[in-house]
Amino acid sequence: MHDSILTHAKSRYLWISLGLCVISIALYIWHDPGIAPNGGTWLGYTLGTVAALLIVWLLLFGIRKRSYSTTMGSTLGWLSAHVYLGTALILIALLHCGFQFGWNLHTLTLVLMLIVIFSGFFGVYTYLRYPTLMTRNRESATRDAMLDEIAEIDQNALSLADGIAPEIHAVVLRSIENTRLGGGVWTQLRARDGSDIAIARIKVAIEKRETQIGAPPPSMQAGQTILAMVDFLAGRADDKQSEALRKLIDILSRKRALATRVARDIQYQAIMEIWLYIHVPLSIGLLAALIGHIISVFFYW
Amino acid sequence: MRWLIRRVLKKGKSSISYEDDTHFGEVLTIGRASDQAIFLPDLRAALNHASVTATGNGQYRVESLIVAGIRVNGEITYAITVGPGAIIELGSTRLTLLDARGDYDAAVEVSAIDKSEQAQMQSRRKKPTSLSQTWISKRWPSWLLFLLILAFGLLLPAATHVVPGLNNVLRHSPLPSTMFWNPGEVDSAHRYFAADCKRCHENAFLMVRDSACTTCHARTKAHADPAKFNIPALGDARCGTCHQDHNGERGMVSTDQRLCANCHADLKDRSKGASQLVDISDFGTAHPEFHVSLPGWNASDEFTPKSMPWSNALKENSGLKFNHLKHLKPDGLKTPDGLKILTCANCHQPDVSGAAMKPIAFETMCHDCHTLGFDTLAPEREVPHAKVEAVTYTLDEFYAKRALEGGYADARAPTIVQERRRPGSPPMSRQEQVEALAWARDRAREATRTLFTGKACVTCHTVNPPPAGENVWRVAPVRVSGIWYTKAHFTHAKHQTQACVDCHEGAQKSEASNDLLIPGIENCRECHGGAHAREQVATTCIACHAYHRSTQLTLDQGQ
Repeated sequence: MHDSILTHAKSRYLWISLGLCVISIALYIWHDPGIAPNGGTWLGYTLGTVAALLIVWLLLFGIRKRSYSTTMGSTLGWLSAHVYLGTALILIALLHCGFQFGWNLHTLTLVLMLIVIFSGFFGVYTYLRYPTLMTRNRESATRDAMLDEIAEIDQNALSLADGIAPEIHAVVLRSIENTRLGGGVWTQLRARDGSDIAIARIKVAIEKRETQIGAPPPSMQAGQTILAMVDFLAGRADDKQSEALRKLIDILSRKRALATRVARDIQYQAIMEIWLYIHVPLSIGLLAALIGHIISVFFYW
Repeated sequence: MRWLIRRVLKKGKSSISYEDDTHFGEVLTIGRASDQAIFLPDLRAALNHASVTATGNGQYRVESLIVAGIRVNGEITYAITVGPGAIIELGSTRLTLLDARGDYDAAVEVSAIDKSEQAQMQSRRKKPTSLSQTWISKRWPSWLLFLLILAFGLLLPAATHVVPGLNNVLRHSPLPSTMFWNPGEVDSAHRYFAADCKRCHENAFLMVRDSACTTCHARTKAHADPAKFNIPALGDARCGTCHQDHNGERGMVSTDQRLCANCHADLKDRSKGASQLVDISDFGTAHPEFHVSLPGWNASDEFTPKSMPWSNALKENSGLKFNHLKHLKPDGLKTPDGLKILTCANCHQPDVSGAAMKPIAFETMCHDCHTLGFDTLAPEREVPHAKVEAVTYTLDEFYAKRALEGGYADARAPTIVQERRRPGSPPMSRQEQVEALAWARDRAREATRTLFTGKACVTCHTVNPPPAGENVWRVAPVRVSGIWYTKAHFTHAKHQTQACVDCHEGAQKSEASNDLLIPGIENCRECHGGAHAREQVATTCIACHAYHRSTQLTLDQGQ
């Protein structure tokens, strides 16, 4: 069976975390502090200590995953424990505070912790789902191989276009100049690519022209590579040019398909990473809040 | 117009040579077509790709002739005016526009971009394909958050402890003050200084001292003397052991019975006999029978109540004779004002606090029926109640007046007393006066005896004749109502939805005033259980008992 972070070592850390939760709940129910449950009772201090140690240990994962020469278990094992114990932390922290919340540093600590944990849940989801999607999307090619192919197609497209007409060459040239894979954070995450629609439209337009000879040419829309070609095709192309143009459109379609896959590859990778930009900084913020929480509580004991 | 076109030719690794050419015309055309001024045999160039026009003032206008545009100074553009030094890149060729020199009006340098440079440029122009190449980062937000939270969440509030006045400044600013540390609302009584943490938390990293509490709560009584009872735990108990603030509306009095029960176990042994209190741990299961404070008087008639364990057979001595059964007749009593049905409330009325019952008052409760008249010839006249000596005076004076005025229509009285004296009648002789007053004294004594022994006082009171040589009758002292359970604070007010007989069930049938009609613990347990009671009202120690009940020590003297 495939060893995932959830099933690692027969879900050993799931059972450890469940055990921890059951013990905490049992103690919480059994414990009767005489006042409303809060962090200041002996159970409150105990659960608080456990939660604080857990947070520190969970933070150490950031160091552990960078140290490649350690003998302290596999990174997969650590990650499995990181996920399960991090989840158990929600319950332990809530029982620690006795479900008391306010507009203060203590609740801020809790909120930061919850955001960190829930962003981690998203991370677990992406780690379980996206590697498969990525492999399927790449179709056993690498991103570099796809990029190389795109460059090759660009060259071929230029020679083909040159053989047709200077206008076509110009629009292909512009299309190459405008081909930009990747971009800012938002662009990477969205991976939006309108070329599929454009290609579909050109194909429809060609077929239409072949069936209805003499139909008026579609209106020229400046700035649309494919439509420029359609316009040309509809207007003054002879058979030889039409043939070359169709070939050009085919390889440009191939390029677009590739570009879409590269964009999707970039998107998957970005989604798998983006949550860390919340998870990591907030976990460091959580460390500061935790230090503040502990010191302030004993400062004014 | 003359253009200088200088071609840079690379020969080998570092040797460079130039080949100058002249072009005549305003416009310098660039493209793959053979008629172009600068001919570029590169598929990435269009046939007529772009044109450069020298505008005459040392500036050049670069215009793209195709929709793909042209890259000038690294940016794709369609038309731009640039000065000398501008670089146009087209495929593998770089054109650098130069200052006009010599005989030329304009100049351009044409050089090839080698493969490695092209690749470099391409990678430079590439957009980021992973998040780590974009502006977002994990490192600096982490540091920023860490430092911000530490500064505003910890250091700034902590600074208020050492910098006087800082907290006030912070509280009136958007910055966090020590209120940001406040784990919960303080008790309403403490709210007026809630923002001043140091009022209670005098020292950092030390628990709140009792002295912080007794600064205000100076008169709060201690529990018991730790020295007397030899129980160190008693002295070690902090105010905070029972009273924790920052619980908002829940208040800060802990009702946990363990706070009491932990200590009230083996008290006799632990105090080496100094305490005689029995062990108590739970009202429902481990609480002894109540000790009822029975009325009693010592030899000199001083009230000295006696504490006795409650039992069904216990008799009390209130000093009063009273028959509840007779008074609570369901079909009513015949009274001078007609038929009247009495209820408990006719005589037992709660005091102002609602806790105990007011003492029974003869004048308002008994007098309607039990008048203190003594003479049928003057039925409106009565002796005062509860003033034994005044009874004698009143009667002496009443009959002396009758004797001296005359007109007292009693056949047994002397004639001189019966005769009505009119204005102008001769005064009584000395003999007559002696005779009349002798009658008056005898009559008064007779009336006194009748009152005390026959029809009035003795109805309710135990009366003894005056000792030899005295004339004041002895009426036994009375104590009706009062505090029966002195160590608990029962309040009727909280139980007023109940019927009286729910607890005082014997009252309706009681014929003797010494029946103890006060209920014992079992009666309370019908509704109240201990802290863990499931089917009754969960009741802990402080529902009935107080902690701060030392009679001598205040909190700052001992616990």
